[in-house]
Amino acid sequence: MNWKTVLRLISVDVKAGRLIRGQRLRRYREQKIFRYLEYGGAYALGLAIGIGAGSFYAGVADPELKTLFYQGARSLFLSLPSLALIFSLVFTMMGQIQRMGVRASLQPPYWLPITWEEHTLASTLANLIGVPLAFLILVSSAIVTVSIYLEQMPLATLTIFALMASAFLASTTTEIFRVLQVRLIGAVYKSTGKAAIWVRFLGTMLFLIVFYVVWFAFSSGTGSIALIEAVAGAQQAVWFVPYVWLGMVLAAFMSGLLAQTLIFSLASLLFILILFYVAVRLNARFGFYEPPAITVSRGAYVPKVGFLGKLGFSSLEAAVMRKDFRAFTRRRELMYVFIMPLVFILMPLMQYLGVYGRPVEPEPSRFLFALILLVPGSIMAVMLGLMVIGEEGGSVWLFFSSPITARSLVKCKYAFVIILSCIVTLVCGAVGILVARPSPDTAIALLIESILLIFALGAVSLGAGIKGADFAEAPRPRMVRPLTAFVYTLLCLVLALAIFSPLLLHAVTMDYIPIPVSLPKIDLYVAISVSAVIALVTTFVFYRIALKNAEEFLLKAEI
Amino acid sequence: MISTGEPAVKLRRVAKRYADIVAVDYIDLDVKYGEILGLLGPNGSGKSTTLKMILGLVKPDSGSVNVLGINAEDDPVAVKRQVGYVPESPRLYEFLTGLEYLDFVGDIYGIAVSEKKNRIEEYLEALELEGREGDMISSYSQGMKQKIALISAFLHKPKLLLLDEPLNGLDPRSARIVKDLLRELKSQEVTTIMSTHILEIAQAMCDRIAIMYEGRLLALGNMKELRQKARLPGSDLEDIFLKLTGTEDIREVVEALLK
Repeated sequence: MNWKTVLRLISVDVKAGRLIRGQRLRRYREQKIFRYLEYGGAYALGLAIGIGAGSFYAGVADPELKTLFYQGARSLFLSLPSLALIFSLVFTMMGQIQRMGVRASLQPPYWLPITWEEHTLASTLANLIGVPLAFLILVSSAIVTVSIYLEQMPLATLTIFALMASAFLASTTTEIFRVLQVRLIGAVYKSTGKAAIWVRFLGTMLFLIVFYVVWFAFSSGTGSIALIEAVAGAQQAVWFVPYVWLGMVLAAFMSGLLAQTLIFSLASLLFILILFYVAVRLNARFGFYEPPAITVSRGAYVPKVGFLGKLGFSSLEAAVMRKDFRAFTRRRELMYVFIMPLVFILMPLMQYLGVYGRPVEPEPSRFLFALILLVPGSIMAVMLGLMVIGEEGGSVWLFFSSPITARSLVKCKYAFVIILSCIVTLVCGAVGILVARPSPDTAIALLIESILLIFALGAVSLGAGIKGADFAEAPRPRMVRPLTAFVYTLLCLVLALAIFSPLLLHAVTMDYIPIPVSLPKIDLYVAISVSAVIALVTTFVFYRIALKNAEEFLLKAEI
Repeated sequence: MISTGEPAVKLRRVAKRYADIVAVDYIDLDVKYGEILGLLGPNGSGKSTTLKMILGLVKPDSGSVNVLGINAEDDPVAVKRQVGYVPESPRLYEFLTGLEYLDFVGDIYGIAVSEKKNRIEEYLEALELEGREGDMISSYSQGMKQKIALISAFLHKPKLLLLDEPLNGLDPRSARIVKDLLRELKSQEVTTIMSTHILEIAQAMCDRIAIMYEGRLLALGNMKELRQKARLPGSDLEDIFLKLTGTEDIREVVEALLK
């Protein structure tokens, strides 16, 4: 194993995550300071948490409380390796899912003298760069700091080693998953024929939904505490599962069982090595494997005379919209946009139905309905608007070289955003009506409000998506500059609140949201009218901005 | 819009720099209607940039670009409507099938439905893509992708073809079809500007050849004129090219490499 090669491969991966563009394509430079900001921030945050918790512990006079804190901290230490494993697994999997559809992703140059061991190790470590590494730094800095106060430095040191090993274990598992899914997808394509495209879409959606629902359930609010408690308790019960052996190392160490500590440490090491070996062998076996072609159509070619033309779209605009629809149902990294809305329906629904162990609400809530109806469509509009230009990637040359005007570009992209978001809203609305059984007035008001939000936020985010389009595709498509996405998402949030505020005022004055003072009642339809005016003005202004941005975009088109 | 006397493409004092690099250095170029012009030059000599400036994909720092009687800067959309372009390494929408891609391009150029269907089927048959047209482009070989890119450039019957290494990756039969097609289009007054590194193709196909070097237009003319300029009577294009670009010291280079 040549360690220099491994390090170089990792650095290639890291650099690929940055902006790699030729002189001509450079639209912006990334500040060097931002490269390590997340790690520095994680370290500082961990330090602050450690100092805060340590100072609290030092300041506690009550010995009972002190013991409770001490025991709690040790219990947390115990579950950290398993938590790090779950966390790293989730994030490395997310990273892989986003990369899956990208053929331009970084393949190691197979013709270079690089062994599969070096490639697998580099890939496994590179998977951890980003959020998982920041998480490890945060937790490590926090536990080192707090352990000074607790006088538990040996335990903290061992915990950090266990954390690192857990993260590596998770990433190796992801590497195995990555290779296997390539092979599995190949088998699916072969066996399903023309239906492969839909099997892939539905399979990916199902996988992601289950993945996210479980993740959100555990990571939100009391769920995370329940998870820590569950991990700490379950570890002992399932000691025979190799994935918890790192936690068992700490448990044995805390109990002063040195022989067990040693046995579980060696067993963990052996398990990691076996897993790594499996990943290497799988890579060697399927690393070159190319899934068979997906055949979408057979037989005579019948050009579509779509109904979009009847809606007033030119053949060019309709073609772009059809192409975008195919992109969002065929490119796995774009299917993500459907996940958030679906999770937003599923989460409150599952809570409402008591799946997470919370009591079932006695009465269907109009707030649940509002959440289900308003949020998914709005999120969809924002996400689509931000992505819909950058998703063109390297193929954007076709836009620059074809006779498309700024007006047409904005019209068809905006229409695509609106149509897809409205479909999501209508589906969500149907689910919401079935579950929450709102009054007709509430249903109509919130449906109108939802459509208004989609129109306004779609225009805002499309303008931003054009201005901040990023066509870099390796290691995963960026689509929009992170800073632009952040700033405009905040702006969308503010504007959404402004648009929704009349309805909120109506809810307050009607005592749906109780406040201590009594206000004169605002009629529902007056509230909707005011809301509509705000939304339409926002839509008009930002649509104009999007047009201006599109003119600049096509004028400065340099490929 | 064929105007007598006026060239199909007219570049005047066109220059383009990228930071410290001079990509194109104040070139003048006229290309006649129905002419096939070959752009030759070593890597980085400015061929692709010149093609992109003609199409309006790259804005010149100075000078004017007139295409088919239209100032490219004033009305780029009108220019693009009449031009077929194949970039050096065309990136296609890999999630579409070949058929869907061509259908998309046909709609982009507003080709009538029945005409689009006929043309697509003819081209698919001619370039032997039949049977694979329903597969996603992600599974195509480089040559198949090049064929799709070429068809999409020809599909709307453009008056000007800008082809950057058009025969890249094509099998001999398809390359021959494309060459014959370009000759046939020439008879229909379609102008072609193609950049290539394959000198035999340039010599065999092009009416005139422009040799570029470090952004400058070193020589422009037919084979006879180029031989005269290089003072190499009876030589082939390779010798002329190497002499004009000052890169004929190949023997020394090879010897140095073998040391």
